[in-house]
Order: sequence, then structure tokens, then C-alpha cells
Amino acid sequence: MDALPIKIRSLTKTYGSIYALKSVDLNINSGEFLTLLGPSGSGKTTLLMAVAGFSRPDAGSVLFGEKEMVLSPPHKRDVGMVFQNYALFPHMTVAENIAFPLKLRKIKPKEQADQVNAALATVQLTDYSKRKIDQLSGGQRQRVALARAFVFKPRILLMDEPLAALDKKLREQMQIELKQLHRQLGVTTVYVTHDQREALTMSDRVAVINEGEIIQIGTPEQIYSNPKNSFVADFIGESTILPLTPNNRGDLCYSDSILYSAKPEFNNKNWALVIRPERLFPISNSENPKTSITFEGKIMEFVFQGESTLGIIQLPNSDQLTIRISPTIAASFTDFKTGQTIMVGLNHNDKILIPAN
Amino acid sequence: MRQNLFARINNCSLLKTFGVLFGVLFCTSSISVAAPVTVVSWGGSYGKAQDAALFKDASKNSGIEINRESGASMTKTCLQVESKNVTWDLVVTGSGGAANAAAKGCLEKIDYNVVDVSDFFPNLYTDYCVGSDVFATVMSWNTEKYGEPGSPSAPKSWADFWDVKKFPGTRAYRANNVDGALEPALMADGVPPEKVYEVLSTEEGIKRAVNKIRELKPHISVFWKSGAMQAQLMKDAEVDMTTGWNGRFDNAKKDGAKVGYTFNQALLDYDCFAIPKGAPNKDMAMKFLAEVSKPEYQANLPFHITYGPTNKKAYELTTAPKKLIEALPSHPKNVPLMLPVSLDFYAKHRTKALELYMEMLSE
Amino acid sequence: MRKKQNSIPTLNHDSLQQEKRKEQLFSLGLSIPALISIVLIIVIPIGWLFSLSFVNSNGDFSLENYQKMIEYKSYARVFYTTFEVSVLTTALCVFIGYPLAYFLSQTPEKYAGFFLLAVLLPFWTSLLVRTYAWLVLLQRKGLINNFAIDLGIWDTPIKLVHNLNGTLIGMVHIMLPYLILPLYGAMRRIDKNGIYAAANLGATPAQSFWLIFFPLSLPGVVAGTLIVFILCLGFYVTPAVLGGGHVIMVSTHITAILENQFNWGAASALGVVLLVTTFIILIVLTKLLKLNNILFGKA
Repeated sequence: MDALPIKIRSLTKTYGSIYALKSVDLNINSGEFLTLLGPSGSGKTTLLMAVAGFSRPDAGSVLFGEKEMVLSPPHKRDVGMVFQNYALFPHMTVAENIAFPLKLRKIKPKEQADQVNAALATVQLTDYSKRKIDQLSGGQRQRVALARAFVFKPRILLMDEPLAALDKKLREQMQIELKQLHRQLGVTTVYVTHDQREALTMSDRVAVINEGEIIQIGTPEQIYSNPKNSFVADFIGESTILPLTPNNRGDLCYSDSILYSAKPEFNNKNWALVIRPERLFPISNSENPKTSITFEGKIMEFVFQGESTLGIIQLPNSDQLTIRISPTIAASFTDFKTGQTIMVGLNHNDKILIPAN
Repeated sequence: MRQNLFARINNCSLLKTFGVLFGVLFCTSSISVAAPVTVVSWGGSYGKAQDAALFKDASKNSGIEINRESGASMTKTCLQVESKNVTWDLVVTGSGGAANAAAKGCLEKIDYNVVDVSDFFPNLYTDYCVGSDVFATVMSWNTEKYGEPGSPSAPKSWADFWDVKKFPGTRAYRANNVDGALEPALMADGVPPEKVYEVLSTEEGIKRAVNKIRELKPHISVFWKSGAMQAQLMKDAEVDMTTGWNGRFDNAKKDGAKVGYTFNQALLDYDCFAIPKGAPNKDMAMKFLAEVSKPEYQANLPFHITYGPTNKKAYELTTAPKKLIEALPSHPKNVPLMLPVSLDFYAKHRTKALELYMEMLSE
Repeated sequence: MRKKQNSIPTLNHDSLQQEKRKEQLFSLGLSIPALISIVLIIVIPIGWLFSLSFVNSNGDFSLENYQKMIEYKSYARVFYTTFEVSVLTTALCVFIGYPLAYFLSQTPEKYAGFFLLAVLLPFWTSLLVRTYAWLVLLQRKGLINNFAIDLGIWDTPIKLVHNLNGTLIGMVHIMLPYLILPLYGAMRRIDKNGIYAAANLGATPAQSFWLIFFPLSLPGVVAGTLIVFILCLGFYVTPAVLGGGHVIMVSTHITAILENQFNWGAASALGVVLLVTTFIILIVLTKLLKLNNILFGKA
């Protein structure tokens, strides 16, 4: 099946005096897995609902391929959708649920059965076709909802926080499965979540949304390593944000060390440094620092978290720094004890500059 | 508390059948019965008339305190007696209902050493009840439609009630109760009044009467259930002709209804007072009954409702105008026109008659 | 298989078991007041009703009361009328109530409250008043006939009351809230996303309604229907007033027997037959419609 690109132009939706969507422009490539990521109330679900046709925008355009869809009712949009609570039909069996879109499209019963079986095989529920919905576990319901959404070969698939109700382990497993399924189906997928990890795990591109606007869009790596502002930096991954001050030559400095040499665009604006905790590394007393960016401070807390160890360091100016290191490294630094002074370093490649609030 | 409850339970044999909860509920109410005699009558204009003419003055003059309640019914009386939880002392009832209840053993015998009935019309008292007033089951009609009583065009007999060609229009008849329902049908069928109960004494006779009503049924648009409903049907002109109790129609006329009736071939009947078996204030009730049965109280009744006194002397004592007195069912001028209701027939045949009547009604 | 007893250590075992039994006894004890009230309020009176129905007017044990019901056709007719009125009332309630409940369930909750109040308002007026109000409207010289004749819609009064029609009008009016309330509740509980999902999968609004909304609202329909139907079976006032003596239901017949004969036995027998027939109908319906599934959502 051919995937369809989606083009969204100036899409605007208001509730009273509040903007749910503020003139959103977004291009989703054909076959792409794009995630709309944002906190609750950011407008990500409204945007998805506008694409599905359930929410009528005040203005704007939604193109599927070349076709204007903004005026079409939902049942004419031919997009698959997975709802947050699955929205399965409790009065039908698994097979009947999945056959529902096929029945509406007047596909012959024999073909219906074949396609339902194929879909069931894809989501690994072959033996469950006769079950009622209330006899299924959360993960199984999720798969049925998925099968129902793609069985009629839509060219666009929408998912509204489909994994939110599952427990962590199952959620992570389903994330991988969904990604595989997407690769297999090749369908243009718009995925809504508030879980940044999920977004990073699954997406080709992530669009970060806040207050009805798309703040930043890019591959997970781009978003992670080059957040555009403090909101993105804060929302995606862990981060420490330190304010930078210009010296008399216009260089950006933290404490006394120069981090960025003067550039014209630094003028008349405040800047901040974003540090990802895992990019910091401890430097032992004996060792010669391999980087010029070092911080020295007092260990406030050191917490063993299994796959990593988390530390909070208080700098002399009472700013706090978060550091995450692997347990092996933590073990080799025997002096990691609360109250002790420690020096940590950051490579120049890992420093991130953002405009300060 | 425990002892108290135990004492109540012991007092109440109902417990054995009903269980603790019901027992306590019923017993509590029976304990609270105090000295006044509980007198129970019907609502509406009837009860008000009795209050004004009989109860108030009799209570004042005799010094017997009374407690007036409404909703008198022999069914409820029997329920009280059977559940051994009697709260009523003196109850108003129709003559037939009293006979029925007496047969069930629900009533006390009247002590005629206390109640003086020497001046009563004959047949207006029995071993178990004392007549309070005389009324008639008459046919009444819309005077705009069929003319004033006595005018040449007005209906005169039950045959006219049945004659829907001469008197086209709708009829109303008694619902779910056979009392006074069969006699008019037989008279309409040509049976002379004095032979009515003779014919009715056989099942064929009852069937003949029921069949006659069956014949009229397509024209009976409403079956009435109460005196209030008889009056309302005529006031609203919902039907053109109905059976019913004379006093209700007089009161409806006072309220502006276009209604008239005739005593011709009417059924002469009486209401009476009865004392439930095991009444808490049986002796005082008997004394109060003796008081209200005196002619001086009954003499006032016609001012409030056109039901006649049962005590002959009341006719001598009353100060009511002649026209009013002559309109009373028990007036000597009217009595010969009517058929006195036979309690004997109802005692023997009511069950059978009701079954056959309900059979016709349910068709 | 290993025996369980052997593997359980004995430390505090006995006292823990004792504690468990105590707890079970205590929770059982909590239900005793409820059990007692059920026995007092339901079991004893119904048992009494049954036993009374085998007592004839002389106070002896007999089947007379039941034989009479076979002997006279009026009893069969009364039962037929009772079920006829109940079925028709219920059906009319569903026809009128379903669209109303649907409208309510689709109205935003803050306005739905207001409309629901309008549905419930009649509950605040006495049954008798509402019934007589219909009489005033429907009778021969009532408001409707007078109005229609004045406007020339019809020439002679139409018989709107004192018959089955009038009874049904009054009964439907009184029963409607009993249907709408459970139905409205069931409709509100239907997942809106399910309707969205249907539309998303290609269902037109009509298809969404008939394939998804309607089947999911059936538990509410069944609950409301049962409530209305069962209430109708024992109804007295409205058929007595608006039926004009032409609509004789079981309750009317029971009253007639009591008023005229004080015959508790005969009246009880009618009550017993009504109870048993209703029970049988319910059981048959349960089997036929698999009501359990609809009502309790089991497979």
C-alpha cells in the first residue's frame, strides 16, 4: 500500500479565549513515524483529532497527499486510529472487532476472514479470534485495537497514547513491536505521547508541542542533543541548565571559565548552558583533566539506580549539577561519598547552548 | 427496655404470624389508644353533614369525647379484627357491608338496652348495626339533555334508562361492586319491583339481570366507583345518565350541575353505625351510639345532606322546610315508590352475583 | 503433589487461623441485619400470601380460590388485560423514551441536568393528581375535546378516556421516567471513543448508531423495560381512574374481591398467580434473550 504524506497549514483551534492550536504548520512525510510530544494540555491530542476529523478547527488546512480533508467527516477520511483506552466494541468478539471496518467497506466475507486472520497473525493473537473483549488483558486489547486500525490498509495511522494504560515492562515491549509493525506496514504514522522516552525510542521524527505550538521538530538525536530552548531541553531527557554571563569581550562564561567565544548573535540576549547528566564524567585527583570544562563541588547525594548511579553536586555558587555515571565507573571512584568534594568534566562537543528564559 | 419490649410482644398474638417487626409496629399503635371514642366515617359532604348534625352536639351533650377519623370501610374493620389490633370504636357502613362483616364475625352485637330504637322505622336496624340515615340508589340524568324531573320528556323508569333509542346518550353504572346493580336491570326487563328479589334468588335470575346489563354495556361509557365520582360525572357532563345515591346529586346540583333524579323504582337503603368486635372503648361507643340515634340530632341532618332520618320522631322534631323534608328518601310520600334493598339476598348471593357481574364487566 | 500441610510451618499457625475464622464470622455478622429484614419484609409476607391463598371463605384449607379462576372467564380476561396494558405501556415507553434518553445523553452534562429535572418533575406531584389531571384533559367535555371542537379539528367529542387509550396515555406518562433513568445512565456510560472509533473505521453516523450505540444501550433498555413492565403489572390507580371501569387489571379485581367479600384467600390467590406468572415470564425472557449477558456483561 502507498503511504500518504500529510500537510498541515495554519491549523488553528480555540476554546473560548484559549488557543488549543496556534496556526500549526507541519509536514509529515510519506511512510514516516512522527511523534507529537508534549505535556498534557499542550494541544497534541487536539492536533491528532483534527487530523482524524473529530475536532473541527477554526481555520487551516489538512492535506492527505494533495487532497484537502479539513471539511471531510471522520468516516470519509480513511485513516486508521488507535485510541488511548482502545475503544474496542465490547459487544463483539475479537474477530468481529477487526472485521468491522472490512464489513463497512463491503468486502466479501471470505476475504474478510482472510484479512482478519492475517491481521491477527501480525499482532500474534491468532488463537483469540473468538474471545470477547472483556476476556483479554490490557496488552491483548492493545493488539486488537492495532489490528483493527490497520486491517483495512489505511494509508495513514494515528495513535493517541496507545500504550499509556500498560505497565512499564509491557509498554517497552510494545514500543519495539509497534516500531517493527510500522516498518512492516510502511504506513504514515502520527503518534501522540507525553512520554519523551517513548518518543525517542519509536520515532523517525519528533515534534515537540507546547501551548498549541510546535516548538521544535527533528530526529530524536537532533531534539535530544540540540534542544532549541529550555522547554525542550527540560522536557526531553534529564538536564541541568546553568545561566551564562557575558564578559567584557562578549564571550559567554560560567563562573570564570569562558565557554563560548564572542559571536555577534550573543549580543542583547541571555544564554544558558544545558548539560546532560550522562555526559559529565568524574575526574580523580591524580588525573589530568582531558577537558577544559570542569566543575568542582560538594556531593549532596549519590543514589544507586541499577543501570546507573545518579549524583547531585552543589557548586560553590550553590547551583546544582546532576550527574549520571555507570556503576562500574562509580565503583572505581571510592571517594564518592556525601559531603566530599569532587571534580567533574564535560567535553566541548557535549555542551549545549540555548537562549535563557 | 428489654422487659418493656417483651411485655409488648406478649400482648400481641399477631407476632405468631407476622414476626417481630410487624408485631412491634402494630402493638405500638394499639398501646397508644386513649379514652376518646374513635368514630370513623366517610369523607366529603357525607362526613361533614354527620359532624354538623350528629357528632358535635352529641359529644357535647353526653360528655363523651370523640376522635374523628375518615376512611371508614368494613374491609379495614375486618382486617383490624382479624389481626386483633382494633383501633376503631364506631364505624359508618352501608347496610350490606354491615351484614357482610357481621357474617364474618367482625362486629359486636348491639346492646338494645342501651340504644333506644323504639321510634325507628322497621328494618333500619339489625343485631349488629343501627341505621344512621336512609338514602336511595336512583337514576339521575342531565336535565339539559332529557328535561327536568317530572316533565313529560324526562325518563321515569329503569326501562327508560335502558332505552337508548328514546333517550340516546351515554350511561354510567356501578364498577367492581354488585350492590344495587342487579335490581334496576330486572325492573328494566319487566320484573315488577315486588318480584325482583324472588327472581334474584336463583342463579338464572342473577344471570338474567347481568345479561340485561350486558345488553346496555356498549352504551355505558364509564363505570363509577364512588359517590364522589357519580357527582363528578354529572358535573362534567361526562355521561348523560347514571345510577347513584340521591344525596350526591342534590349536592352536585347545589354546585351548579344540571342534574335531576327520580325516586320512582329507586332502591331504598340505609347507612348505619357498627362497632368492631373487640373495639377498645366498646361500652363508651355503645353509649355514644345511643346518643346520636336520638331524634333531636337526626332532625338536623336534612339541613346538611338529603338523606332521611331513621328515627320517625325526627320528622316530628325537625324545623326543616316542607319542601326539603318531602325530598328525603325516607319520607312517607317517597317510600312507596321505592324497592327496599334486601339484606337477605346479599347475605346469601353476593359472592355468586359479584362473580357473574365481574364476568360481564371484564368482557 | 506435595501435601500442603507438611510445608506450612507451625509458628503462630493456629492463632492466625483462628483470627481468620473470627474475621469471617464478623463479616457474616454484618450481613445479618440485611438477612433479617429480607426475611421479614419479603419472605414472610410472600409465604403468608401463598398460605392464605389456600384458605377458603370459611377458613378451611381448599383449592376453591384457584378453581374459581378456572371456572370464571373473568379471571383469565383480567390477566390478559393486565399483560396487554403492561406490554403496550412498556412498548410505548420504549418508543418515546429511547429518543428522549438519547437526546439527554448527547446533551452536554450541565444542560442534561436541567432536562433530566424536567423528566423527573412529575415525580414530585402525587400520582393521583397527575392521573386526575389527565382526566380533566381527556374527558368528553375536557380541554382537548373542547379545544379541538372549537378549532374545528373534529365535530363530536372523541372518546379519549375511560377506555384503553386513556389508560395507556396516563400509564406511559407515569412510567416514562422509570424507563428514561436507567436508559440514560446506560447511554452515558457508553464510551464516546467507541463511537469515534466506529466513525474512524468508516461508519456513517447512522451505522455508528445502529451497529455500536444501539447494541451498547440495550442493557439500559432491558433494565428500564423490566422495571416499567413489572411496575405496570401491579398498577392500580391510573387504570382505575382513566380506564372508566373498562380496563380491569388484576389489582382492580383484588380490590373488588376485598371490598365486596372480605375474602383474603381469593385475593391472595390472584396475587399468587400474578407473582408466579411474572416470575415465569421473567425466567423465560432471561433464557430467550440471555438477559444475564446483557445485564451483567458476561459471555
